[in-house]
Amino acid sequence: MITWMLGEPRPSTHASRIEAVGRELPARRVTTSELMASTRHHTNIDLEKLTGIREHRACGPDESSLTLAIAAARDCLRRSRYTGGDLDMVINASITRYTTGTTHRFEPPLSLSIKEAIGAPKAISFDISNACAGMLTGVFLLDDLIRRGSIRRGMVVSGEHITGLGTNAARHIHNIVSPQLASLTLGDAGAAVIVDRADPNSPGIALAGFTTLAEHSRLCLGLPSWHAPGAQMFTRARAIHDVAMQDGPPLVEELLASYGIELGAIDWLIPHQTSVRAIKAGEHALSEQLGSHPKHVVVTVDEYGNTASTTLFLALHRYLGEHRFARGDKVLLLSVASGLEIGIALLVLDDLVETHGDPN
Amino acid sequence: MATRIKAVATEHHRGRVLGRGALHLTDAAARSCLERGHCDGAELDLLINTGIYRDHNLAEPALASIIQDDLGVNRGHPPKFGHHGTFSFDLSNGGCGVVTALQLADGFVGCGTARFALIVAGDADPAPHTTRGYPFAPAGGAMLLEYVPGETGFLGFAIRTFPEAGLFESNMRWDEAAGILHQGRNVVEFVESPQFAMRCLDHGVAVARELLASVGVGIADVGLLISSQYPADFATSLARRLELPSDRVPRVAPELERTHTAGPIAALEAADGSAARHTLFVTAGAGPTIAAALYRR
Repeated sequence: MITWMLGEPRPSTHASRIEAVGRELPARRVTTSELMASTRHHTNIDLEKLTGIREHRACGPDESSLTLAIAAARDCLRRSRYTGGDLDMVINASITRYTTGTTHRFEPPLSLSIKEAIGAPKAISFDISNACAGMLTGVFLLDDLIRRGSIRRGMVVSGEHITGLGTNAARHIHNIVSPQLASLTLGDAGAAVIVDRADPNSPGIALAGFTTLAEHSRLCLGLPSWHAPGAQMFTRARAIHDVAMQDGPPLVEELLASYGIELGAIDWLIPHQTSVRAIKAGEHALSEQLGSHPKHVVVTVDEYGNTASTTLFLALHRYLGEHRFARGDKVLLLSVASGLEIGIALLVLDDLVETHGDPN
Repeated sequence: MATRIKAVATEHHRGRVLGRGALHLTDAAARSCLERGHCDGAELDLLINTGIYRDHNLAEPALASIIQDDLGVNRGHPPKFGHHGTFSFDLSNGGCGVVTALQLADGFVGCGTARFALIVAGDADPAPHTTRGYPFAPAGGAMLLEYVPGETGFLGFAIRTFPEAGLFESNMRWDEAAGILHQGRNVVEFVESPQFAMRCLDHGVAVARELLASVGVGIADVGLLISSQYPADFATSLARRLELPSDRVPRVAPELERTHTAGPIAALEAADGSAARHTLFVTAGAGPTIAAALYRR
């Protein structure tokens, strides 16, 4: 029985699984050296060496959170056996809610526009916000609703047009301790995932859990810029890193123990993608605490940057597309996000590894 | 085995210079609610914030985590085996946020995954110098849910949308001419059509009837109607259209009229002491969206 993470016991009337994953990437690539050349002050920061991020994608003038989300949702449906009309629920989980340029919408929720665009008018729709853990939070909610029979299938979708933070930060950063430095690691992307009811004997989403270590809730704050269009973000990155290293492993241990599985039995660990260095440090901390290593650790931040709420599913999409996974592989998704949110889901892959690469 | 509404509370702006912000109002309502429910915050498993307009338009983290921190609820550091945790996140569905969150929380509480859940809501003008046409009263609300054995609980939910552009929208955009020195500012603007209230009413009536039919409860058996407090007069007009006696619609205090996301919580608080067996929730928001629920005790 676990008590720290909200996750168990889960209703077991039905099982749930990841049925399809979609993504959208803006065509425009921005290298880290190009971004650092745009800073107003001479910084002496080798950001690529510090983070391992070589480049990221950035929205063009006709792209926004909404267009990325819709395109990712459509890509997801192309890889799914379902149409939009089959979806019972559509959850938008993005931090950014830009509909055009720098117009950020509060009401109605973006999920309403997304479900209309993908032909899912009857789906229950709402937005959630849980920083970079947003999409995994949505999967956690769908898993619960499907397991207790309230719905049969739903989509979590997110479009993050978040590189405006980097543009704004570039005017203010002087050195490596700047509270806006993390804004330079961000990339734009959209991702979508369909969760559906699985055979009761299928492990599917074998376990899922979330907790909020609220003592650290003010370590990263994002809000509208005072000086320019778009937003700004102030991050105490070192403090967040230290908390994640200290408190993350015991939580992962608690949840894995509830399922009777060791870290060494995990085939693929997909952690939230902030920097290559942070991922390696996290893997080391986990292995030290749990006494074993996952077989593989997925890194995509070098090519996409930190794409906020979409990172886990962008990575899942890419590795599915590259046929890296095999049927039966155990994939551990690990969110660490502002809040401080820690979320975990264990997937046991089924025919998704074959259906993903065959868009209809 | 079901979900029971154990306590509700609201907080409104009391004319002080300080304490107008959404976070302050929501925190205060949440503290009152936990006190009324005789609930030690440490027992909370789940905290969902449904407020939209918060101080400085903060976008990250989820305001729910900051509220959890302010309440001193399982703040963490370090988690240990056998200790208790809380999961917090924000949900946004306009004026329908509370009922939408109720459907999610009902799943976790109704099956015992969570024993206690707190749904909070709060809105206030986020930045008065850069907000244009903010229509809502500043207020916060909180609702405590508890897992109980027996037949109490939610019999059904209906959340429907009826998309029609331009009825109600709020956006933030860059205005080059805003600011004291016209240096430019991010401004929040509201657009509301005169037809918005009537559309909410029409769709609200339809969704309420659909829900009651689906759970086999007649309108005459509804002892209490809990509704949004915005648009103005939505609750009384809805009762009239549903042919419910006006005494089944609680009247909120004047300062809580035009409350946004916390509107249904304000109505529940005003109905304190009601012996109604069936309570019908009908909320309305931008979209338009209607979220309805039927609760039995």
